[in-house]
Amino acid sequence: MSDIDDSNLDGLGLDDALRADLRLAGHLDEVPPETLAAAKASFLWRTIDAELAQLVEDSAEDDNVLAGVRSTGTVRMLTFQSPTLTVEVEAIEVGNRRRLVGLLVPPRVARVEVRHGRGTLTVEADELGRFSADDVAPGPVSLRCLGPAGVNAVTTDWVVV
Amino acid sequence: MANGRLSEAATRCARAGHPGTLRPRMDWMADRGEDDAELVRRARAGDSAAWEKLVERLGGRVWAVARAQGLSRADADDVFQVTWMRLVTHLDSIREPQRVGAWLAVTARHESFRVLRRNGRQVPTGDDEDFEDGLQLDPPVDASVLANERQKAVWSAIATLPSHCQRLLRLLMADPPFSYEQIAELLDIRPGSIGPTRGRCLDKLRHRLAAFDDETQRTTP
Repeated sequence: MSDIDDSNLDGLGLDDALRADLRLAGHLDEVPPETLAAAKASFLWRTIDAELAQLVEDSAEDDNVLAGVRSTGTVRMLTFQSPTLTVEVEAIEVGNRRRLVGLLVPPRVARVEVRHGRGTLTVEADELGRFSADDVAPGPVSLRCLGPAGVNAVTTDWVVV
Repeated sequence: MANGRLSEAATRCARAGHPGTLRPRMDWMADRGEDDAELVRRARAGDSAAWEKLVERLGGRVWAVARAQGLSRADADDVFQVTWMRLVTHLDSIREPQRVGAWLAVTARHESFRVLRRNGRQVPTGDDEDFEDGLQLDPPVDASVLANERQKAVWSAIATLPSHCQRLLRLLMADPPFSYEQIAELLDIRPGSIGPTRGRCLDKLRHRLAAFDDETQRTTP
């Protein structure tokens, strides 16, 4: 690729030979074809009708976790917010899988679609807005909350659990 | 959070996944920006071919950012997917489509940190060159069979260097390449201070590869 002015990198003392060596080495670690294909397919997740709930809190970011002190069965708290709905989710590690326990605020009965890379799992939120989904595959996840008729669908940001 | 000099606003936006107000310090890749903007506009209109082209064009950089943080290929795959899924979600709210490449790189960096922390690992801080996390940027094992001697030499030379050097060198492998300013921002250091110490990383690599050349010459009849 030569569409960039490589003199930009001169400040590093990067000469042509070294640049060529690095590019060559980079070919051993390119994006795997299946990874690229999955990202292309992610366009299918595009929903233009739904209200977006953005990730505003992630306990994985707040904790001053030191290397090597990770405990098993870690609980991670995630909060998503849209103009009309807050979605609080605990992501719990259960072996190699994740359990999601959530709360819709204000409480509402809703169908909650847990969308992950390999498909969708549907659970119900009760009148207190509580829901839970077991046996979720680790990886990118987004929730889509479908309330009663006349209420906007709310879709959360994607996050890796 | 180890955000250092990455502007607080940009961090907040990346965290909230809201790219609209993200303003990288430099107008990254203005030359290709037009094309990227056009692809974003077409994707917004529902053109999946434009989306696929965007993934093909900028995917190498997203991957390099995740791998430069020392993520395994499995974790890098998660970061790669979540970065593109976030773009799908935020496609309509991006105010500067010509900077989608910068948006993706910053998002991928942030998501990499999130995964590192989820894994209980420390997150590197900008100028701290003593930060050692035992980073080992191994190329995929199955590819080593096909690797030529030169490629192997570069990877094994890199493996002997300090973590901050490994990060820099992995970013320099990105295809399409990052600019100097982008690399500084992704390493969370001031463009002014990237020179001398990072130059030493390159000197070490050059030195080791020169030794490899000598060795090869001696053993080649």
